[in-house]
Amino acid sequence: MSDLDRYKLHPATFLELKLRMNYQHRAIAQLRACRPIPEAQVRELCHKARELLIEEGNVVTVTAPVTICGDIHGQFHDLMELFRVGGDVPDTNYLFMGDFVDRGFYSLESFLLLLCLKVRYPDRMTLIRGNHESRQITTVYGFYDECLRKYGSANVWRYCCEVFDYLALGAIVLGASTSLGESKGLMPEKSSSTQPDDEGIEIELLNHTGGVIDRFPRGQARNGARSSPSTKSSSSPAAKTGPPGTAASGYSRGSVGNTSGAVLCVHGGLSPLIDGIDKIRLLDRKQEVPHDGAMCDLLWSDPDEIDGWGLSPRGAGFLFGADIVKVFNHANDLSMIARAHQLVMEGFKEMFDNSIVTVWSAPNYCYRCGNIAAILELSEDGSGESMLARSNGEVNRSDGGVMKPSDRVLLAGPARRYRVFQAAPQDSRGMPAKKPVADYFL
Amino acid sequence: MESRVRNHLLQVQAASTSLSLLDTSQPHTFLKPAKKINEGHDVPAFLTSRAYSDIGVFIMQLNIAMCPRKSSDPGGTRTWQLDEIDVLSEPVQQLRELLQKIDSIIEEAPPDTGPRRFGNVSFRKWYEILESRVQELLEAHLPRAVLDVSATPDGTSVLEELTPYLLGGFGSAQRLDYGTGHELSFLAFLGCIWKLGGFSTEKSQDGEFERSLVLGVIEPYLRVVRRLILTYTLEPAGSHGVWGLDDHSFLPYILGSAQYCPAISEGDAMPVEGALPSAPNPGDIAKKNVVDRERQHNMYFSAVGFINDVKTGPFWEHSPILFDISGVRSGWGKINKGMIKMYNAEVLSKFPVVQHFPFGYLFSWEQDPNAPAVSASVHTASQPTNHPPSMNATTSRPSQTTRAPWADSKRGGEGPTPAPWAQKQQAPSQTGLPPTRAPWATSGSGQLPVRGERTGGMPPPPAALDGPTKVPW
Repeated sequence: MSDLDRYKLHPATFLELKLRMNYQHRAIAQLRACRPIPEAQVRELCHKARELLIEEGNVVTVTAPVTICGDIHGQFHDLMELFRVGGDVPDTNYLFMGDFVDRGFYSLESFLLLLCLKVRYPDRMTLIRGNHESRQITTVYGFYDECLRKYGSANVWRYCCEVFDYLALGAIVLGASTSLGESKGLMPEKSSSTQPDDEGIEIELLNHTGGVIDRFPRGQARNGARSSPSTKSSSSPAAKTGPPGTAASGYSRGSVGNTSGAVLCVHGGLSPLIDGIDKIRLLDRKQEVPHDGAMCDLLWSDPDEIDGWGLSPRGAGFLFGADIVKVFNHANDLSMIARAHQLVMEGFKEMFDNSIVTVWSAPNYCYRCGNIAAILELSEDGSGESMLARSNGEVNRSDGGVMKPSDRVLLAGPARRYRVFQAAPQDSRGMPAKKPVADYFL
Repeated sequence: MESRVRNHLLQVQAASTSLSLLDTSQPHTFLKPAKKINEGHDVPAFLTSRAYSDIGVFIMQLNIAMCPRKSSDPGGTRTWQLDEIDVLSEPVQQLRELLQKIDSIIEEAPPDTGPRRFGNVSFRKWYEILESRVQELLEAHLPRAVLDVSATPDGTSVLEELTPYLLGGFGSAQRLDYGTGHELSFLAFLGCIWKLGGFSTEKSQDGEFERSLVLGVIEPYLRVVRRLILTYTLEPAGSHGVWGLDDHSFLPYILGSAQYCPAISEGDAMPVEGALPSAPNPGDIAKKNVVDRERQHNMYFSAVGFINDVKTGPFWEHSPILFDISGVRSGWGKINKGMIKMYNAEVLSKFPVVQHFPFGYLFSWEQDPNAPAVSASVHTASQPTNHPPSMNATTSRPSQTTRAPWADSKRGGEGPTPAPWAQKQQAPSQTGLPPTRAPWATSGSGQLPVRGERTGGMPPPPAALDGPTKVPW
């Protein structure tokens, strides 16, 4: 049965659909080759993307399995490496937590490719806004200059900024399993029989080929009592308290059933003006990122080893301590917050008893930082009970702020599979012609 | 309007070719340097201040001093290279020693080996040691002429005015970063000494004192800074990534391109095109072997060599601005002129960079009566303010049609993004945080309030904290 029959489409509509797919397909292929698409196509793409994004709520609901990614900053070749390591779209569902642009040489190609994939596979690609998805920031940190250099006018920059205004502010991942499941990325090499069963693993750390670097059974990852079985030598087990980047010490009470609490994904962090996810849903997000207020804070704040709230040295957003995160997670039935926004040398860093994690996906940031990058995979709960259709609107899971005493338990964290990777090899990139210099030199 | 601002620096030079000396026989009212540029709208006032004019004069006199000279000697040209330093004057020798001592503090503050996010917290320790010693270091190494200059009775001492410029030249201990604003601070430190007759009270013979300063102090300073950057992985806030000239420096590109300009005679103006016949091709900056050779002699290549040391990947990709400039066909004279214009626009006219520059008696906030009026330019018009007009979806930034499209100054490396409108604290004298804090950690105390409506203290905690949902911890 052809598609025409299956969907009972009018032949003309079908043709148009085919053409559109074709065109999208071509644009994706061209962008995958790191070649910018013509300005007219950018305009159409941005228009379509806006139509799609305007339907999304401020907080998009995403169902596991999903792979969560941090800052990209125009490192196109490393984004390709990310897809190689994490699995291609649409085989893998992705959630990118913003900062697609600025600083790198290929912000344009990176953002447009992600946007094309969003338009082509809207349910498999979630893009949320970072602090760099803003007019004021992109004029200072490079994306504006890049668009002008690549197109000779600011039109493309303007189209992209219009899309930025419609990006969601956060996402909530539901239905993540407390045990690691199959994943769409490169599969872990079968490890020795001494490995504990997948069931008991809370955190798994894989290298770029899918090889196991480390595994941490539930409870241990949090309690940090001793070294977990790992592929590393056992010469220094005592020093080991958890996976790199985890502040392992714990309070986990384990889990009943295998669905974890929800995971909130946001670029920066929390805001003193936001005590519940429903408050985020009420914001008017379709605007330039303001200099202060809740929307600004979500995109600018950082967790820090302090009590309560602190002023941010960035000059926007706030610093927030472990107490803030724990209260927020508890009040919102969250097991964890995933955020990006800060370079971490090991690609990811769990803090505050694993209640928040920073994920960073730009390896060797700015060609010189020497850091590795990471992506975070959450697998789906096999029971099917928590399966929800993807929803762009609200999911009524708020308890109205009233919790029964029996509810005062911590939700089990999802099983986390981190894949770390290094910068893509750079030898295959050709030398471009020199561009006209800035008018200072004319 | 754009060109008026840009040319302003060049116009100033025509009137005066060297930074004028103070009459040191008279007492002076030194001032503790203070921040004056608090928001974008203060930048135009800076561009007509005496300090701005002095900075411009000083850079131009250093610049022309590095330009090769016609000579009657065989070969016909006199050049000055980094590895062929003449006998240095006593004051310059002393400042070299000062820099060596500052450099050796690194040995006392080895990088922390513990977990870190990026910048190394031991830089705060290094900075604390420098602060604790800066007084004795300056007393030991500053020229007597400077130390003995008389201040008004009960007034601020000359050292109190000079010290912040020196301390401000080595990055921010709070943010663990380094950029062109810090470089500017060190330049002003040297300018202060110059004004006080510390290098000489006599007229410089065809730029000899200035050359001695560039080769004997500025290049060694840049070496100290590069070592600090490497040792403590300074994560300068405000990196423009590949879209800035350089992650940290600007002056070596001005002074280094001057080294390759065609030879001039005493009294000639700075060449605006052409090149010394023996100079490498500008395109050679992308050739590693040429860079490795020339970085020994030339400041431009020395800076490019440092980029090669710290960055991996194709040069055209990680440094496209320098790569494009290397295609200039009218020689190093043209590049030199462009670098000065670019410095004026992208460093001196940029709020995020100059907001931290403090003003005193020597580099004065006072308006220069001879300064041409600065009309609103694309640079000054697009400066951030505390409460800038909000930009909506249909507004584009005002500068987009006339702004140099891909040129942007850079305040440093690859740290977290500071908000461009943020009134961040420079506070060289206030490292603020205990050395054990994470590099990105800052508590509310001792911080400048960033936003008016929140200056009254921490925001109130969310209501839920006091509500019925109080959690067990």
